[in-house]
Amino acid sequence: MKARFQQIQASPGFYGLLIGLAAVILIGLGAAYYMEHNGHWVTGMTNQVVWGTPHVFAIFLIVAASGALNVASIGSVFGKTPYKPLARLSAVLAVALLIGGLAVLVLDLGRPDRLIVAMTTYNFKSIFAWNIFLYTGFMVIVLVYLWMLMERKMYPRFGKPAGFVAFVWRLILTTGTGSIFGFLVARQMYDAAIMAPLFIAMSFAFGLAIYLLVLMASYRWTGRELGDYIVYRLKNLLGVFVAGVFYFVAAQHLTNLYATEHHGVEAFVLLNGGIYTFLFWFVQILLGTAAPLAILFSSLGRSRTWIGIASALVILGGLAQVYVLVIGGQAYPLSMFPGYEVSSSFYDGVVASYSPSLPEVLLGLGGTAMAFALVVVAVKALHLLPESLSDKAVNPHAAS
Amino acid sequence: MKRLSDLLRSLPALLALAVFAAPAAAGDGDSGLRPDIPEPLRGDSCVEETEDMRRNHMDYLKGHRDQVMHQGIRTKKYSLKECLGCHVPTEDEARRAGRSEGEHFCQNCHEYAGVELDCFQCHNTRPQEPRLPHPLTPRNRQTMQDAGNPATAELLNKLADSDKNETGVAQ
Amino acid sequence: MSDDKQPDLARREFLQGSAGAAAGLAVAPGVMLYGPAASAKPIDEAASSEVRWGMLIDANKCASDCDACVRACNTEHGLGDEDQSGPRQQTQYIRKVELRNKATGASHSLPMMCQHCETPPCADVCPTGASFKRADGIVLVDRHICIGCRYCMMACPYKARSFVHESLEDQEPYTPRGKGCVESCTLCVHRIDLGGIPACAEACGAEGNGAILFGDLNDPNSAIAQAVAEQATTEVRADLGLNVGVRYQGI
Repeated sequence: MKARFQQIQASPGFYGLLIGLAAVILIGLGAAYYMEHNGHWVTGMTNQVVWGTPHVFAIFLIVAASGALNVASIGSVFGKTPYKPLARLSAVLAVALLIGGLAVLVLDLGRPDRLIVAMTTYNFKSIFAWNIFLYTGFMVIVLVYLWMLMERKMYPRFGKPAGFVAFVWRLILTTGTGSIFGFLVARQMYDAAIMAPLFIAMSFAFGLAIYLLVLMASYRWTGRELGDYIVYRLKNLLGVFVAGVFYFVAAQHLTNLYATEHHGVEAFVLLNGGIYTFLFWFVQILLGTAAPLAILFSSLGRSRTWIGIASALVILGGLAQVYVLVIGGQAYPLSMFPGYEVSSSFYDGVVASYSPSLPEVLLGLGGTAMAFALVVVAVKALHLLPESLSDKAVNPHAAS
Repeated sequence: MKRLSDLLRSLPALLALAVFAAPAAAGDGDSGLRPDIPEPLRGDSCVEETEDMRRNHMDYLKGHRDQVMHQGIRTKKYSLKECLGCHVPTEDEARRAGRSEGEHFCQNCHEYAGVELDCFQCHNTRPQEPRLPHPLTPRNRQTMQDAGNPATAELLNKLADSDKNETGVAQ
Repeated sequence: MSDDKQPDLARREFLQGSAGAAAGLAVAPGVMLYGPAASAKPIDEAASSEVRWGMLIDANKCASDCDACVRACNTEHGLGDEDQSGPRQQTQYIRKVELRNKATGASHSLPMMCQHCETPPCADVCPTGASFKRADGIVLVDRHICIGCRYCMMACPYKARSFVHESLEDQEPYTPRGKGCVESCTLCVHRIDLGGIPACAEACGAEGNGAILFGDLNDPNSAIAQAVAEQATTEVRADLGLNVGVRYQGI
């Protein structure tokens, strides 16, 4: 590995970015304080829709975090040489996104002051309890992996084993995240074994989309060279991952459509669920799947701008997908009395209404900003980014 | 320059002096810094010695609460409701006040000690009315003994958590 | 505070408290120490799995326009005092559900509350173990260790749980509840431990409908055990295999 890594230089733009992100973080923290101090009545979350916009952001970030590590894994575990210089940024991005997601999750708890209780008292039948270990373990393992990547003496012997452990761990972690929903027998939209593999596929796509955007942005803004060789390989990979997500989504819905029992919830998502149907067809499928595939695999895919747009669309589609899953899944009523019309003072039998409130959105954005701020600080403080990712630097033996 | 740096170096010591001198300077008998703990309403002693209670009340309360929650053992000796029954007055709203006010029996001392008090997010700061006598305060112990009914006595011993026959009335 | 007066006062208080107790000592208005239920355990003994508390609800006897159980529960636990929360955020331990069969047109009314499952999904998913099942079958939330993550609310097949969305004050002495924790029907565990029956069952009986029968499912001599042994009863969402403690008739 002969790439030379270098810290980025500070500049007015750098400080401007950092200050902007810090402002969003502070606003997010303020929103969290407002929610905790007053209680959740200030949010749009209710007894019917108990997880709202903060959880959409948090789950998206956590899923993307494990996917962001993919690029490093392709280099270390699968031995693809062109990817190896990209590994350090990949590892840091993974940890940063996870921290951002967890921050949002923890700050939305009803009793965030009891975080110590959550970290010392465990019910090991709960996938949430396992996730606490998986998430903190992931951070430790990836930081160790990063150390192996950066330490010249360690890399030859430990780079691949560390990468392998990190790769396996993140697969277990994403399975755990998907199982949060997959294990819920109560709800029509969950309770499916496909949740875990679906989340794995989603993590591949979302993580790579964010990685691509961060990579292209950091090289453009620091004036370093980023060759087409790497970018084209990554964009093709993104296209494959997006197709993979679509496969699992299609399998999930087609299977559900076969069973009469699930026709209600399928109609809700696909036909008459209002905002959820719109988000599914227009944002998740059209903007988040079809459009990126069309862009990435056509001649538009040669343009950096269009690749960036495609990545952004994948992210947008991903947010919509998580929104439909988390919030739509709660909005659809429980099937307690099949064959009956149900009504009660506790909103049984009707689709629950929910609209995102400002504190929730600000908290979600604050966590996202925290993730990116960590990356910005890291690329300045550490030797993470190769000096050059031009085609010659990355792949000296390629025919031009 | 030299004088300024000398001054800055001695700043921590000056501050410490100010902080520690404040109580002495606060005046004779002024308990400006110490908690103002109200007298208990009933009984002349608590269920444990005062020093023991000061140090260990949290352990007693936590042990009791876990017993109540998970096993349904509802004895009275370390019950929070019973604490409030003796230590929170009927009149004097300030002493009965909610969790953020400093004059409540528990809040008072906790504020002084700087220890977060979590109980009253959920528990009422006031005892239920009418208050019933606590078996273990000596005056009431005497009453129970005078009453002398063995069934009541057994009951009261259970209430008092006692294989120790602390009410002193069991035969 | 002269010592002369105090013993008399104490004796009077004591005797006032125990007046009206048939078999024992009153510890709070309406709550008897050793009350009518002969199977009440002594208060210094732990709850045991030899007992399984349950309810049998007869939807045929449940009147559509009656909500005595809901009102009694709200009064017992001090619910409904959340004045900043919206209607969708207010706590309900028990609610009346109106059913209409889409195919046949038949209508029913019944109360729905925590079903106190034998294998509660809420207890399975709680990360800290705050949601748990007591030995005698009552499913509770230990609000001392609840972190307010609401995962149990996602997991409950009966949507039985509520979250406290605002700061509360002046709680009922036997139902401490506060901002940020999850809560649900406790089967009036504070009454049961002291020999009583749940407020909803008591109110339904007082109202004259008698749709809610409470008792020990493990005791072959109890009214409820005999009723479920002789008559057909169902669980709501029986396909989940949770073996709930609240069984229904008439649906």
